[in-house]
Amino acid sequence: MPELANQADLAHLHLLLNHFPTIGTILGLGLLLLAFVRKNDHLKKVSLEVMFLIALATLPVYVSGQAAAEALKGQAGVSADAIALHNDAALGSFIMMEITGFFAWLTLWRIRRVGRPTTGLTYTVLVLSVLTAAAVARAANMGGDIRHPEIEGGQYAGLFGSSGSASGLISAAGIKDYVLQHPWVWPTCETLHFIGMSLMFGVLMIVNLRLLGFLRGMSFASVHRLLPFGLIGFGINFITGMFFFVAASEQYTQNVAFHYKVVLLMLAGVNYLVLTVYDEAWALPASADAPLSGKLLGGSALVLAVGVMYFGRMLPFIGNAF
Amino acid sequence: MLTSLEQSAFSTWLLSSNSIWAYPTVLTLHTFGMMVLVGAALMIDLRLLGFGRGIPLQSMDRLFRVMWVAFALNAVTGTMLFVADASKRGPSLIFWTKLAFVALGLVMAVLIRRRNFEGSAETVVISGAAKRLAIVSLLAWSAAITAGRLLAYVA
Repeated sequence: MPELANQADLAHLHLLLNHFPTIGTILGLGLLLLAFVRKNDHLKKVSLEVMFLIALATLPVYVSGQAAAEALKGQAGVSADAIALHNDAALGSFIMMEITGFFAWLTLWRIRRVGRPTTGLTYTVLVLSVLTAAAVARAANMGGDIRHPEIEGGQYAGLFGSSGSASGLISAAGIKDYVLQHPWVWPTCETLHFIGMSLMFGVLMIVNLRLLGFLRGMSFASVHRLLPFGLIGFGINFITGMFFFVAASEQYTQNVAFHYKVVLLMLAGVNYLVLTVYDEAWALPASADAPLSGKLLGGSALVLAVGVMYFGRMLPFIGNAF
Repeated sequence: MLTSLEQSAFSTWLLSSNSIWAYPTVLTLHTFGMMVLVGAALMIDLRLLGFGRGIPLQSMDRLFRVMWVAFALNAVTGTMLFVADASKRGPSLIFWTKLAFVALGLVMAVLIRRRNFEGSAETVVISGAAKRLAIVSLLAWSAAITAGRLLAYVA
């Protein structure tokens, strides 16, 4: 299995990607506000899609951040406390980002049934993205404190108050200790991870087999109704997967199978978004055949899902975990 | 007998070969089969419980065939994994609990198919009994996965 990135590459990748969540959230929020001002539903849809994609892109930012922290460990002039504070803030804002992405997706999914972005859900996304933008900016600011001595010390107390005090809401070290000290947590998360995977794959199987031309007795509209179950399965696996990652990040950051898994997961996420808003198929009559683009979409979704499972299962074998 | 199974040339190859095609691939195929089998079962169960009502039951009939193919794959890969570790798995209560729940899940699939899918007419109103079968099926597969995962930690 050819290596994708070593630790230094990942640390570099973190520096490259770490502005995306901040700028992306502000961009998505700006588009959403503009859509409200102009009363433009199409623009609302675009801003929701941007929010979902930014939530997706935040995963490699968080994961590469752990690799960067490991690369920096013990280096002169780097404060371990500053890294820990940034890590906690980053984890909190990452979770908020994923919640925002979930509601953005739900709003997009509902458009097919209602015909427009519904008010309640759109305002939920608006409020969540304001909170997420603030949380992400705070995390980014604390990240800057790690290696930018020119803005530190003296009278400067940081944009968000003294960065010497953590918010205390989420502690990565606390989660890690809890998982490692309670032997039931890991097997429980593993079990839920497998159940979540089955639920997700059950939905992907039906939706994508239908797109490919099997299961023709199902109408596209009825199949579209199943999509939230796929995202519930993903939610279970995101939460349990984060427990694994936070508790034993060193098993994953330098694990080539994990790198492949994250890349395929990104692609699968983009595929799911396209699938959700793929009106060319969803508007077709019950027994119709999807166009070639729909079949390619369906085929790649199944390949990507099996690929994500493959590299997850291979974490201990191809990579160096456990 | 369990020990002799475990000492067979096949078992030795499966467990001690460093090849990615030995234990890792068999285990991955077993996971793939599980995901397809349980995934299909969950979809039928959820439909019976009232989710995705727009999907005609009859159109889900083909999923039973998918389930049986996936089960065949897991019977084969599962036997391979058992043989490799026979003296440890043989006396393990968790292992036999897992098999019992897999059997229960399969029986539920047969009963659900018999009740709702045989006959040419589409079942429109899903009976309470059918819903109870769906719930037992959901629980059986979840329990089978739980026991299977525990094997890696407890046994």
